[in-house]
Amino acid sequence: MISHNARSSASPPRRLAPLFQYLAASLVALLVLIPLLASVLNGFKSNADLLLRPFALPQTWVWSNYISVLQSAAFWRQMSNSVLVMLGTAVGVMVLASMPAFVFARLCFRGRELLFNFFTLGLLFPITVAILPLYIMLRQLNLLDSLWGVIVPQVAFGLPGNILILRGFFATIPRELDEAAAIDGCSPVSYYLRILLPLMRPALAAVAVLTMVTSWNNFFLPLLVLNSESLYTLPLGIQQFQGQFGTDWGRVLAFVSIALVPTIVFYLLAERQIVAGLTAGAVKG
Amino acid sequence: MAQPSSRVARQLAVSQRSRVRWSQAATIAGFLLPAAILYIGLVLLPVVQAIYYSFFCWNGLGPLEQFIGLANYVRILGDSAFRGALGHNLQIVVLSLAFQLPLSLGLALLLRELGRGQAIFRTIFFLPWVLSEVVTGVIWTLVYRPQGGLINALIQAVVPGAPETAFLADPQTVLYALFVVITWKYFGYHMILYIAGLQNIPAEIEEAAAIDGCSRLQTLRYITLPLLGGTIRLSIYLSVLGSLQFFDLIWVMTTGGPVGASDTMATYLYKYGFQRFQLGYGSAVAAILFLICFSFSLVYQRFAMRRDFE
Amino acid sequence: MKARGLSLTLLFALFVALLAACGSQPAAPAGQSGAADAPTTAAADAPTTAAELPTPVPIPTEAVASVGTGATRIEWWHINTQEDQRAVWEEMANAFVAQNPDVSIEITVLENEAFKAKLATAMQSGNPPDIFQSWGGGVLKQYGDAGLVQDLSAALQEDGWGASFSQGPLGLYTFDGATYGVPWNAGMVGFWYNTALFEQAGISAPPTTWTEFLQTVQTLKDAGITPIALGEKDKWPGHFYWVYLATRIGGREAFERAYNREGTFADPPFVEAGVRLKELVDLEPFQPGFLGAGYGDHQAVMANGQAAMELMGQWAPGANGGVAEDPEAYEATLGWFPFPTIEGGAGDPSDALGGGDGFAIGKDAPPEAIEFLKFLTSAENQRTLVKAGMAGTPSIVAALDAVESPLLREIFERASQAKYYQLYYDQYLPPAVGQTVNDATQALFAGTATPEEVARMIEESAAFELQP
Repeated sequence: MISHNARSSASPPRRLAPLFQYLAASLVALLVLIPLLASVLNGFKSNADLLLRPFALPQTWVWSNYISVLQSAAFWRQMSNSVLVMLGTAVGVMVLASMPAFVFARLCFRGRELLFNFFTLGLLFPITVAILPLYIMLRQLNLLDSLWGVIVPQVAFGLPGNILILRGFFATIPRELDEAAAIDGCSPVSYYLRILLPLMRPALAAVAVLTMVTSWNNFFLPLLVLNSESLYTLPLGIQQFQGQFGTDWGRVLAFVSIALVPTIVFYLLAERQIVAGLTAGAVKG
Repeated sequence: MAQPSSRVARQLAVSQRSRVRWSQAATIAGFLLPAAILYIGLVLLPVVQAIYYSFFCWNGLGPLEQFIGLANYVRILGDSAFRGALGHNLQIVVLSLAFQLPLSLGLALLLRELGRGQAIFRTIFFLPWVLSEVVTGVIWTLVYRPQGGLINALIQAVVPGAPETAFLADPQTVLYALFVVITWKYFGYHMILYIAGLQNIPAEIEEAAAIDGCSRLQTLRYITLPLLGGTIRLSIYLSVLGSLQFFDLIWVMTTGGPVGASDTMATYLYKYGFQRFQLGYGSAVAAILFLICFSFSLVYQRFAMRRDFE
Repeated sequence: MKARGLSLTLLFALFVALLAACGSQPAAPAGQSGAADAPTTAAADAPTTAAELPTPVPIPTEAVASVGTGATRIEWWHINTQEDQRAVWEEMANAFVAQNPDVSIEITVLENEAFKAKLATAMQSGNPPDIFQSWGGGVLKQYGDAGLVQDLSAALQEDGWGASFSQGPLGLYTFDGATYGVPWNAGMVGFWYNTALFEQAGISAPPTTWTEFLQTVQTLKDAGITPIALGEKDKWPGHFYWVYLATRIGGREAFERAYNREGTFADPPFVEAGVRLKELVDLEPFQPGFLGAGYGDHQAVMANGQAAMELMGQWAPGANGGVAEDPEAYEATLGWFPFPTIEGGAGDPSDALGGGDGFAIGKDAPPEAIEFLKFLTSAENQRTLVKAGMAGTPSIVAALDAVESPLLREIFERASQAKYYQLYYDQYLPPAVGQTVNDATQALFAGTATPEEVARMIEESAAFELQP
């Protein structure tokens, strides 16, 4: 922030630039928000109103869509299941992906690249096609119809991409740090835990957000794994408004709009970590 | 400052070599094993199993007994619908690299320049990525709808009496219409990567460049972008692989239609594996998709990403 | 640094809580997998598990997943997601469990597409649910061929269960003498039309021949009315046209010859069907953007008087009522006429294209599952389904007295009197051929394939899948 102020005061002709920047940002924000607002507003409509005039204000405000979702015990149970799965997946991915990423980025040994490539093979395959063997495996592990049956595979799927991402970020930390740590007699484990991980906070937070959102919206895996309605996650819960020959879109959109709130909250919490670098210098001193 | 310390470190390393080597091997194993078990058991083995299916004529039910060798592969390569799907994937790759990534990078840089309100804009830009694919599909189908849709309403507001447009119903426009939605939905993902990458660039370097008289464009061109190189190469890599395997949004919005005009390899695969019950054939499609991704990955890692880790 | 330590601790605490919460869950399915062998343990486990659950989450009554506490467990998957409909099924399950206290029923309710995906995986892994939704036809036949579903023939012989059904619909679940499921509603496809719009265009009587039909379409167009609603993105709504035309032109014989591989789907009647359909498509009778519209859009167009006709099954009025801005106006203007005949066609005018919902029994299901299915299709329960709007046209003859709508009664009569009752091709044929029919007809609607090409595409797939 300080540097920004210094820059703009140093170059008076560029006073207009911020204006254009805000205009551009606002334009993008508008394009992003219109469809989202439409989904929130359409949650207040009857089915016919929604299908005939999707972008007008509701003709009559139908509050019952939102109210019935908020009052439904099933919704809150699905919400807590979704949160459990999301946190479990995010923690699992952060722990299990950062460890190999550290090894691949900071330690030197023969066969490193080969092993690394081996781990990223998973990125090259659409996992849906392997769903049948996976399903059979989960049944043998007795993980069907339990939240673990969703969490564990989600962590596994998340590994290749996130190892790749985290390795890139581990690699940006200056090499000198390794040597300094070695001199201080720091073991690799405590070097990883006490020095590198705290430095990696922004990257870990980014990985966490990306993983959490993917988990929150995952439909296919929970659909196959979970049978009991008491274990349903939110995306499975939406089904109750969709029939063979018709969907109650107003309820679906109300449901989805409310279900968005926790992800946004989690995002905001994580985002503070992502941009910690900026604020840490300016505020905390 | 780095000079003396690294000399000491080297001496230390020499005296403790054998001990260090053993403890390093143990560290490596300990750090890799948990991830490796999960990855091999739940990702790699199922994938290998699926590739095995691809050599059979199998509807997924009953025993796996009709071995047909490479017949599935021959059939795929002779199918014009598959070649069309592959072409659409390549189009999405090119469009993503040409428009989506520059947009994400531009917005990440723009956000950095904004003073007040930066956090709000950053959150807003990330919202589409938070929304699930199904809901995104539903909302954008409404946007494109000829009856009462947003785009149609806008066109008719500008040109009264213009004919109703249906971008998703026209084989000529459907892919571009979908690409707009893909960009809308996923630019936030790459933007987050760029923002995190920009955090790792020490402000001092850019400030030093400014003091040395570099214009902001020059700083961007010669300092920021090169330092962001690793993140950019990573984001390109993920974007290409994602585009090659693209599925969800297209399935929700058009199921690959009309008449296959928006089919991707993954929707083609899903149609055969899950709707037509030709699991062997679907697995062969997946294997080909894997080979395509693998070739790209090999070349790209060899020539573009290697230096990031050396 | 302090704040970070705190958040890490919090995160860890959450993780531990998660471990605890999830750890207690698998107890239930563990009992499930061994239910058949060790019913006593499953029953004994249940109360202790509930007591151990640390989560204070209340179990609501609105989403009961399990009915009864008996040791014999029946796993039941159905697709009636709407609250009132799932309640109807649940009441029936309750009633059955009350009479059979040693049975408990686990109900899983899934949306149509989700159900198909989940069932496919369960089937492929060799582990079918005990009772599940089926539409009969080629998919069910594949399950039967793989030994994944039970043959109900013997049970249908007892107590006149089989005789109580409308026989055409029951035939959709029968293959080479084996019956793998039973219907719980059945009807036929025909033209639903808006009487007010027909009147407005000056059409006095619905058309009876294809030529008259094309004239009707033209008349509507001239009056500025969109003649037909069609959601061709989903493909199946459009495939009805081609299949009905093929049925009218070639009759039962042409189809059975092609199906038994004595003839082909490239034979003249199937090409002719495409030619006749193209006559209709060339009139541009559909709402704008119909190629990108799903069945949901199709419904909205029809239910709100934006198009005059739709070719659809017996479910249309119920389904459209849900998206109509003014449901009463929609119902007041509702009319129905059968698919027009083709001059000189080999098919009988009574031939009907139809289908409906049914249930099949998985291979590992206990005998009680069949008893439960008998219970579900009793005349009394069928009447309940009719009244609940779940079976507009029932599959049990005795339940017809519960049908009030004269249009639905007409459909029921026609369906049961049809000389040749044909299931929609996309259900009847093996899945791969059925999907090809849908894809090929969509190409005809889009103008990217000729009638000959459509017939040839379908024949190629049939030649591959229908090998004797």
